[in-house]
Amino acid sequence: MAQVPVQTIHRDPQLFYWILFPITIVMILTGILRHYATVLMSSAPKPLDLRSTREQRSLLHGISLRSNFHTLSPRSFHTRRDTIITAYESGAYLKDPERKGQPPANPMTDPSSMDGMMGMMKNQMAMIIPNTLIMSWINAFFSGYVIMKLPFPLTIKFKSMLQAGVGTKDMDPRWMSSISWYFLCMFGLQSVFNFLLGNDNAASQMAQQMGQMGPQAPQMFGPGADPNKQFLTEAENLAVIEHHSVLDGVEQRLLEGIRV
Amino acid sequence: MPSQQELDLQISPLVQESLVHNSRTLHNLQSLTASLFGVGAGILGLESYSGFFFYLLFSLVTTLLVYALRIAPTSISSSPSAATAAKGGVLSRYFRSPFDFWTAGLTNGLAGFILTWTLFYGLVRA
Amino acid sequence: MMLISKSITAFGSLLLAHACYSAREHSTLQSFRAATSAALTSTPAAATSLPIDIAIETVVAILVILVGLVLGTSSLRPIQWREWAGKIEREGEDGFKDNNGEVNRDYMGNPFDFIEGRPNFVDIRKQRREFTEWVKSQGEQQK
Repeated sequence: MAQVPVQTIHRDPQLFYWILFPITIVMILTGILRHYATVLMSSAPKPLDLRSTREQRSLLHGISLRSNFHTLSPRSFHTRRDTIITAYESGAYLKDPERKGQPPANPMTDPSSMDGMMGMMKNQMAMIIPNTLIMSWINAFFSGYVIMKLPFPLTIKFKSMLQAGVGTKDMDPRWMSSISWYFLCMFGLQSVFNFLLGNDNAASQMAQQMGQMGPQAPQMFGPGADPNKQFLTEAENLAVIEHHSVLDGVEQRLLEGIRV
Repeated sequence: MPSQQELDLQISPLVQESLVHNSRTLHNLQSLTASLFGVGAGILGLESYSGFFFYLLFSLVTTLLVYALRIAPTSISSSPSAATAAKGGVLSRYFRSPFDFWTAGLTNGLAGFILTWTLFYGLVRA
Repeated sequence: MMLISKSITAFGSLLLAHACYSAREHSTLQSFRAATSAALTSTPAAATSLPIDIAIETVVAILVILVGLVLGTSSLRPIQWREWAGKIEREGEDGFKDNNGEVNRDYMGNPFDFIEGRPNFVDIRKQRREFTEWVKSQGEQQK
């Protein structure tokens, strides 16, 4: 088996100073800028009016009763459950009880839900705009340079991705151009931001995208959710609970715990 | 009747904030050290598999060091009760399952490792 | 503790920087020598690997930084509710300070505080005594 000779390319050391470092520094600074822009742009949530607060809190009351029922005695649990279920089913906690059976309003026309949409829009913009700008900047200035060699071999499939704009047929796919260094920075700088800005930073777009891709938690109080339906579901959940207390059989456990 | 596991959790509940705090502390440390390993691998000029072995080895060393320096000493000062000691040793005081503790670090810092590895590999052998 | 970890980390970084510089110098020297020897004798110079002392220095530097960083992590917290509450009861806010000496944000206070504040447990005579002393001290100040 013939040994494939290792390709060596003599590169100008100036490539590092004029391509590699500018891209890296710009990426880091953009991340920091994005973090502070997100911090500045995030608006405090608007205070809700009394009736919608009551609607949300009473639903939360039911949920916490359902998850913590084991700390209550049977009698007090049953009293609470009866009260809550009756109120849920009659719609006593609803924001406007007369609109009970109707479908929820269109979220686009509801002015109170526009705020949430605007916040999401702002986040998206803060992610997309710098990315497009940097991409086009790199493409305009640095396309076609081979700057680095990856320390691990890759298959030929990666060639079109790593060597975009180089167009040399026989080159080893380990050589990478400036645009692929940009991608590498995008993925790998998370730890640098962690170190610089603390843990819950908004600098990295990767973490946010991961969060979006993950299983979407059903929005509790988001626009478009029908509170009446949520109440009825919760009432059903409460009704099927078979009550038991943590104190059931506590004497047995205590006696087992004592070693003579 | 509830299952045994549920009952255990209800009798001795867990603190969610502490769980988050512990795993975040570990995550921060690992992503920082992964970049450091990248620097080392780049300086040594490791290629392909040996580089990844280097990363694997040193991540394990990191977790071992955390175990030896941060977790094990606390067990002596606050002698754990017989029940916890029987169940999973000192580790169960701070982490839910030992498996998470030993393996979570491998994926946390891989991207940072590759970044600094490539950078220093390129810088040293220019 | 903080000072120790910081200084260990700084020392390790110094070692690492020196190793990096040495490796870089070594590789430049190698390529230079290879170029000249190829020009002189036209034999392909074998690509020599890194000298062992630089390799050792790198590994030692990484280990030293690692120890420093691990020592500098904030202390872990017990996840069992009873141990966590017991720790708060014993140490108070001291157990929840991060490295800068500030109390952490998700410290919520002692979970047993409500027991002290229950109306059944209020010592009304003690409070009355304190009140009379306060009134007396106010009166003395006004004189």
